[in-house]
Amino acid sequence: MDAITELRESLNPRLREVLDKRGFDEFSEIQMRAVPKLIKGINAVLIAPTGTGKTESALLPVFHRMQSGVRPDGFNCLYITPLRSLNRDMMNRLNWWGEELGIKISVRHGDTPQSERRKQAVNPPDILITTPESLQAMFMGKVLRKHLAGVRYVIIDEIHELADGKRGCQLSVALERLAELAGEFQRIGISATVGNPDTVGKFLCGKRPFDIIQVPVAKTLDLSVKFAGESFADQTKLISKCIDKFNSTLVFTNTRSVAEAIGHSLLKRGDVDVHHGSLSREVRIDAEDNFRVGKTKAMICTSSMELGIDIGQIDHVVQFNSPREVARLMQRTGRAGHQIGATSHGIILATGFDDILESMVIVRKALANEPEEIRPHINPADVMANQIAALAVERGEISVEKIKEIFSRSYCFADSADLVNDVIARMEKHYLIRTEDGMVITKARARKYLSLNLSMIADEKKSMVFDVVSRKPVGTLDESFVISWISSGAVFVARGQVWRVLDIEEDRIMVEPAKNAQGELPSWEGEQIPVPLSVAMEVGQLRRLQNFAEYHADDKSIAFAEKILNEMVKNRTVTATDRLIVLEDADEGVVVNLCGGHKVNEALGRVLSILISARYGTSVGIETNAYRIMLRIPKFLGAGDVEEVLLSLEPEHVEGVLTLALKKTALYKWKLVQIAKKFGAIDADADYEKISINKLMELFDGTVIEREAFRELFFSNMDVDGAKYIVQRLKEHKMETKTSRISIIGAQGLFTGRDVVVPPGEDQAILESVKHRLDEQDVILACMNCKSWKSRTKTGKIPDVPVCPVCGAKLVAVLKPYEEPMYAALKKKTLTSEEKEAKDKMMRNANLVLSSGKKAAIALSGRGVGPEAAARIINTFANGDNFYREILKAERRFVQTHRYWG
Amino acid sequence: MQPEFLENGPAVLIERRKRCLVIADPHFGVEADLRRHGLYFESGTKARLQRLLTLIEETSPDYLIALGDLKQMIPYVSYQEKTEMPVILQKIRELTEFRLAPGNHDTGLEHYLKKGELLSPTGAVIDDTGYFHGHTIPAPELLGHLILCGHHHPVVNIYDSVGCALRGTPGYLLSEIDTREWGETKEPTRVLLVPAFYELAGGMDVRLIPGNKVSPIAKAIKTETAEIFLKDGTYVGRFDELRPDPLEE
Repeated sequence: MDAITELRESLNPRLREVLDKRGFDEFSEIQMRAVPKLIKGINAVLIAPTGTGKTESALLPVFHRMQSGVRPDGFNCLYITPLRSLNRDMMNRLNWWGEELGIKISVRHGDTPQSERRKQAVNPPDILITTPESLQAMFMGKVLRKHLAGVRYVIIDEIHELADGKRGCQLSVALERLAELAGEFQRIGISATVGNPDTVGKFLCGKRPFDIIQVPVAKTLDLSVKFAGESFADQTKLISKCIDKFNSTLVFTNTRSVAEAIGHSLLKRGDVDVHHGSLSREVRIDAEDNFRVGKTKAMICTSSMELGIDIGQIDHVVQFNSPREVARLMQRTGRAGHQIGATSHGIILATGFDDILESMVIVRKALANEPEEIRPHINPADVMANQIAALAVERGEISVEKIKEIFSRSYCFADSADLVNDVIARMEKHYLIRTEDGMVITKARARKYLSLNLSMIADEKKSMVFDVVSRKPVGTLDESFVISWISSGAVFVARGQVWRVLDIEEDRIMVEPAKNAQGELPSWEGEQIPVPLSVAMEVGQLRRLQNFAEYHADDKSIAFAEKILNEMVKNRTVTATDRLIVLEDADEGVVVNLCGGHKVNEALGRVLSILISARYGTSVGIETNAYRIMLRIPKFLGAGDVEEVLLSLEPEHVEGVLTLALKKTALYKWKLVQIAKKFGAIDADADYEKISINKLMELFDGTVIEREAFRELFFSNMDVDGAKYIVQRLKEHKMETKTSRISIIGAQGLFTGRDVVVPPGEDQAILESVKHRLDEQDVILACMNCKSWKSRTKTGKIPDVPVCPVCGAKLVAVLKPYEEPMYAALKKKTLTSEEKEAKDKMMRNANLVLSSGKKAAIALSGRGVGPEAAARIINTFANGDNFYREILKAERRFVQTHRYWG
Repeated sequence: MQPEFLENGPAVLIERRKRCLVIADPHFGVEADLRRHGLYFESGTKARLQRLLTLIEETSPDYLIALGDLKQMIPYVSYQEKTEMPVILQKIRELTEFRLAPGNHDTGLEHYLKKGELLSPTGAVIDDTGYFHGHTIPAPELLGHLILCGHHHPVVNIYDSVGCALRGTPGYLLSEIDTREWGETKEPTRVLLVPAFYELAGGMDVRLIPGNKVSPIAKAIKTETAEIFLKDGTYVGRFDELRPDPLEE
C-alpha cells in the first residue's frame, strides 16, 4: 500500500467519499505529512509555501474527527484569520465541503450583519470562521460564551502575522480564556516560512507539547535581481515585458502609491489590475475574480496579496524594488507555481545603488533559507490590562490568583505574576476596576471600555492634509503615520503626488507640492518595511568585497553598482561598509553612513542627536534610512564633532541615553496615549483639546504605563541590541570611522524628515536663546578717548578688541541705543552732575571692554547690565555656558530689583 | 516695588507696604471635568494644594491673591469641588488672608468664601497694584496701575536655528495696554499676565496673545512695549525680538 492510499484509508469513510467526489486523488507534501499526525489530535504548526493546500491539511483532520467523534453543543471549531478578506475567501472555499459533509460553517467578523449574528447565537455553526477581535467580542455575550464551551479545535491561519504583534498576545490570552470555558482543545497553527518555527509553536501552545510540520519554501525557489533602469518609463517598460512572458504574474510593490503609479502607466494594456488596502472591497474582489478566471494577466499589488487569498494559478512573481525583508520575499514569490513540486519563479527589479545591493543580499538569504525570526512581545502591559478588564467583565469578579494562572499559561505572559499586580493597581487608579480581598471587580464603565477596546490595533485619529498652494485639502493621514513620520520638512506621498510638510497644526498638516523628490517615499503607516541589521550589514560587506559574481544578479545590475563604487574612488570619497562608518559634511548637516538597517540607525541616530543636543545646546533634526543617518545641526558643528560623540559612546549607555532621547518625542507620546487608553485612563474617543496632553503624560512618570511605552519602543521601533552591537564593534576596532566631504552615496537616498531632538534640559534651550538675543542686541560702540567716534552695530559683530578708527585708542564703550543721546552730550565743556555721572559710567564701561574685550561687550549687552554688574560677571571667571548663566542671573536680578515696576 | 518670581508656583510675590503672594488659574477640581471628557485621573488637588501651601510657608505673605479660576466646573459646583473646596480654603486661611479676583470658572463659589475674600469681577486695587482675572474690561480704578492678570495661561516657546527647542514653558508677558476706550489716566496702564498655577494647563503661546479675542486685555496690548519673562524671572526678550519659528520664515 503506497503512502497516499494509506492516508486515504485512515480517513473516515464519509470523508473519503467526499474526497472522491472532489477528485482529490493526490496529496501535497504538507498534506501527506500533516494529516496523519493531526488526526491523532496533536497540536502542530504547519509551515509550507502559500497555495500548497495548507488549509486542507489542517481541516481534513478536523473534518475526520468531527465525523468520527462526539460533537458537543455549540461551536466545535474556530478558524481564526488576521483579516476579514481572508475569512470571506475561506468561506467560499469551505462551503462545498460543509454541504457535502453536513457540517455547518459560518463567518463572524466586524462586517457580519446583526441578523446573521442572531442566527449564530440561536443555532451555532459547527465551524466558525472569525478574527481575533470578534473572538474578544464573543466572550462578552452570555449565550456565545456557552457556545464557545463546545470548542474542540482551534486553527489559526497566518499565525506568523499575528505572533509578531500585540494582537497575537491578546489572542494567546484569549485561547487560555477559551480553555477556561471549553477545557483543552487541539491547536493548529498555519504559518509562512519563519526563522524560528519553535517560537511560533510555543506561542500557539504555551507549555503544551506540539509538533512542527514543515515543507521549506527555499528549495523550490528560483530568484534573481535585474536592474530596471533609472527612469520610471524604463522601469514600467520592463515590468510590461515581464508580464508578457507568462500567463499570470503578480507584481509586488512596497507602497500603495507605487502600485498606483505602475498600474496607471500599464492601464492601456487592458489586462492589468491594481490591488491594495486603500481600494474599496468591491474593487479588490473584482480584481481577484478577474485574475482568477484569467481575464487579467497581471495584478499590481502590495502586502495585501501576501496572505493566502486564493487567486488561482500564478506563474511568476515580480518584486519591484527591494522587498526589504527575506521572509517577505519568500512569502511573496512562494505564491508562484502552485502545482505540487513546481518551482516558484521570481524576479526583483531593482532601481538604484542601495536597492540593487539590498536585493542581491535578500535573494541570497532567501535561497539559503534564512528568513527573519518572529519575535512575540513578552509581557506587554497594555494587552494585560485589556484582558484583565475583559476577564472582570466576563465574570463580574475574579481572583487575582486566577488571573495570574490564566496569564501564566500563555507564552507571552509565562512569567508575569508581578506585572499582574502592577497592572491591576494602575487600572484601579484610573477607575476601570476595583479590588477587594484579592478579588478584581468590574466597574460600571468597564463594559463600555471593553466594547471600545476589543482590538489591540491602535485606533487612529485622522489628520487633514491641506495644500497651501492650491488652498485645498489633499486627503487624510493616520495619526500614527503623522506622529512617527511627519514633521516639518518631511516628504511623503499622498494621492500619487509628492508633498513637503510646511507646518503641523492641531489636526491639519500644511503641505506644498514637492519637486525633485526621488525614490520610495512612505505614504501610509504600515508601509515602512524596515530593513533588518543582518541585511544591511551584508550590504556593507558586499560594498567592501564587491564579490557580485557570487550573487544572483544580471550584468546591468553589477555594472551599475560598480559604476557608483568607481565614481566614489575617483572623487576621493570613502564608501561605508560593514567595517567602516563614514561621516560626511553636507550643506544641511552631517550624514552618518552606517549600514545598520532602519531600526539600528533610528536608535543610534537618536542617541547621537540627544548627546549633541545636550553638549552644544542646540536642537538636532534627525532623519534616517537603512544606510544613513542625517543629522541637521547648526553650521558650527561638523563631521568631526559627530565622530567624537560617536566614539565616546559606551554600549551600556545606549539604552539610558535613548530613554532620555525618546521621552520628548511625538512617537513616545503617541505610544503613551495608546497604552493609557488600554488602561482605561483615556477613553478611545476622549477630547483632550483643553489641556496639555504633554503635561498630562507626566502623570505617567514611573508607572507601568511608561514602562510599557519604552518596552514597546525598544522592542518594535528601534533595535537597541543592534545599536549596542555597533558601538561594541567600534570599541573593539572591528569597525572604524572616517570623516569626509559629502559623497554620491552619502547624498543618495531621500530621507523622510522625521523628528527634532531638543536639548534635554530647559537650561540648554534658554542659554541658546540668550546667546542669540545678545548677539542680535543693537549696541553703540563709542570712543571714550576722542569722544568723536561712535558706530551702531550688533553685539555679535563686535571684534575681539574694539579699536577707535579715528584716534586708534582701545578705550571703547559698548552702549545701549538709549544711551546714545547722553554720549552726544559729553562733548560739552561743562557737564551737569547727571551727565558727569553718566560719563563716569561710560568710562568704567570702556575700561572693562579694554581689559576684557569681547567678553565684556557681551556682558554689557545684557538687559539692564551696567559696568558694575558686567564686572561682577567677568570676575566670576565663568566661561562658556556658565558665563551666559551669570549674565542671566544678573538680568534676573535687574528685573526683580532695579527696573521700574510702578 | 520689587516683584519676586517664584518658579515653583508659578507665582509672583508683590511687596510694597504689604506682601501679596499672587497665583493665577489653579483650577482646583479639574479632574471631575476631565472625566467628562474621557480622561480618568485621580484628583490632583492634594499635590496642587501642597505646592501652594509650601509657597505660602516660604514667603509668609499678608495675602494670598488668586487671579481667578480657583475652581473648574462651569456653571455649577461639582461633587469633587464640594468636598475639596472647603478643605482648600481652610488650609489657606490657616496660613494667610485670602483674596479671590473671580474668574469665569468661579461660578457658585460665593457660598464657600468669607466676607471680604471675594473681590469684584472687574478687579480691585490692593496696596497700589491692580488684581484682576482678565476676562472682562477692568474697573476704572485699576487703570494707571500695574495690573496682574490671570485667564490667559501664557506659555513661551523658544526656537533655535534648527527648530523648537523648548515648548510651552510657563512665562509672563509684561506690557502697556491701550486703555483709551476705558478711561483717561495720567500714568500708562501696564499688565503682567501671570501663567497658570494649574500644571495641566495647555497654555497660550505669548506670541499669539496680543490682539487675540480671548479678552479685551489681549486686544489692548501694545506689543512695542511688551516683554517676556520665564517663570523664574529669566528675561527672554522684548516681544518684537522674540525669535520666530525658523520654519515660518
